[in-house]
Amino acid sequence: MKNKFVSIVAAALVALPLLAHAAPIKIGFINSITGKEAQIGENLTNGAAMALEEMKAKGIQVELIKEDDGGDPKNALAAYEKLVTRDGVIGVVGPYTSSSANVVASRSDQYQVPLLVPAAAKEDITMKGYKNVFRLNAPANVYSSVLMTAVASYKPKTIAYVYAATDFGVSTVKTAQENAAKMGLKEVANEKYQQGQPDYRPSLAKVKAANPDLVFLVSYDADAILLMRQAKEIGLTPKAFLGAGAGYTTAQFAQQTEISNLVISATQWTDDVNWPGAADFARRYKAKYSKEPSYHAACAYEAMIIMIETASKSNSAAKLRAGLKAGSWNGIMGPVKFADYNGFTNQNNHPMLVQQIISGKYETVFPAQFSKKKLVYPFTR
Amino acid sequence: MFFLQSLLSGILTGGVYALAGIGMSLVFGVMNISNFAHGDLMMLGMYLAYFAFTLLHIDPYLSLLLIIPTAFLFGFILEKVFIHRIINHLHQNQILLTIGLGLIMSNTALLAFTSDPKILTTSYSSSAVHILGGISLSVPLLLSFVITCGIIGILFIFLSKTTTGLALWATSQNREAAQLMGINVAKMSAIAFGLGTSLAATAGALIAPTYYIHPMVGHTFLLKAFTICVLGGLGSVVGAGVGGVVIGVVESMSSTYLSSDWKDVVVFIIFLAVLLLRPQGLFGKKGEQ
Repeated sequence: MKNKFVSIVAAALVALPLLAHAAPIKIGFINSITGKEAQIGENLTNGAAMALEEMKAKGIQVELIKEDDGGDPKNALAAYEKLVTRDGVIGVVGPYTSSSANVVASRSDQYQVPLLVPAAAKEDITMKGYKNVFRLNAPANVYSSVLMTAVASYKPKTIAYVYAATDFGVSTVKTAQENAAKMGLKEVANEKYQQGQPDYRPSLAKVKAANPDLVFLVSYDADAILLMRQAKEIGLTPKAFLGAGAGYTTAQFAQQTEISNLVISATQWTDDVNWPGAADFARRYKAKYSKEPSYHAACAYEAMIIMIETASKSNSAAKLRAGLKAGSWNGIMGPVKFADYNGFTNQNNHPMLVQQIISGKYETVFPAQFSKKKLVYPFTR
Repeated sequence: MFFLQSLLSGILTGGVYALAGIGMSLVFGVMNISNFAHGDLMMLGMYLAYFAFTLLHIDPYLSLLLIIPTAFLFGFILEKVFIHRIINHLHQNQILLTIGLGLIMSNTALLAFTSDPKILTTSYSSSAVHILGGISLSVPLLLSFVITCGIIGILFIFLSKTTTGLALWATSQNREAAQLMGINVAKMSAIAFGLGTSLAATAGALIAPTYYIHPMVGHTFLLKAFTICVLGGLGSVVGAGVGGVVIGVVESMSSTYLSSDWKDVVVFIIFLAVLLLRPQGLFGKKGEQ
């Protein structure tokens, strides 16, 4: 009798999670909350939190399980495995960094749980034909191609590269060189540098001596400011400075008006673009977190909206995958469709934007259909 | 022209490295301790200069008048509370203690000031003077270099002409003998550590207008300061001064003639060569530990 009672209780306990499963859908979110990338990670956290709030306000029952990878691919993979095996999520948004996203992507087909990458740029992530990997943002090669297309009509002839010796720096410049070759631009200087050094003047002096029309820069955060200061010191004045994302797209950089004015950069998103809801998102974000949203915040917001909307219509990972593959959206990131093209699989062909800093403010200047201002060329001091 | 530009720019950057190296070398000379918190003390100097500029609106170079005594006092207290307890202990214990103190400083800074890099922008941050047709010298670096030379000069006079300075010198030459001659070596240690700290903070404040300020920035400069000390001869003030300029010039030259990517490689090849051929360093005395 006692045994029978115990087994009934045990059966009930086992059945309970099954009953509970019927209620909210479970989504995972892997992000760099701590570690080197924590500063950018915070933007993603905020964007995702806003999306979650909105979806809940619409009455969608969703449980978001957040994991921190500390910017480390090992932790990202462990987080993904925990989310799919222990928490039983049907979809995952993240991770932020290219290296983490690349590792998690390589295992997603094994677990058959869709991964939506919001902001990692490495091309490989959606180039290996993984069925369960979807990417919202444009891959790294678009950074250079959109920048060069923006200035192509002004017919520059020569280009110099100054870039950080990192995965992002080297791969972005590699694709930039291919794009430059197509445009018939001649490479006159190529300076790779170690990050965090106090003195870049010797490298910049070499670039100055080569007298290029375009200077293509890839740097992170504060290095961008240091480089541009020293460029001003030694009097490097090309026709245009092209900054490929990262350090050239921060509010801190724009505020240094003396050195940042007229610098052109590529970005995934701006707050003055005419995509539906972009300006409104920027306004609400500013009100809530009292700072400007970066493109990372917008990417995370849109990725989370897409994931939750699609997941709410599907109750399994397989249906979610089919939903992501078939669906199309038009939100703050513009038109979104996960397509197969040019060797990419499930990649949103996201149109990147070109922005120019005009008196401390980022203005979208290219492509024309998304922008209100016109590009200033050549650069003058 | 490239050669001159790169030489001058290297010498100017090297001047600030030298100041960082001298502080570390002085502490080693007097106390026989490798201070691995030196880089973090520099970081604190950077933040002091930053806050003096943003909150009190004092020019970073003028703020040295505030930073030097503050840092001296901080170093003096650090020595009295922590460092003097391990002065006769094994080197590894000393290293652990100073690394620990450094970690506490950098992580406290991380909590207090967050990981957002701070930029100190003065009206002359990106200005330069042009000489000899085409060679440009950064105004803030030039100012830093002049101040560095002034400070090294004052330090030299202090060490060779004043009673306290001579007592410090004597302690660095032979601790036991100095004690037997009636020099209060415990006090000398505290003074040396205070001086080392204020030199580190000064170097930090001098580099702040041309660099960025971040809680973890100490590690970059600790490695530089340590390399400079060993290159010049541990404990030798002159050696550290020369070592700093040598490293500044080598970095600058290798970025010009090889690639900026290779400059650390060249620096450490020279470093290894000095260790192999002259283990006591350029200006170190033979037989010193």
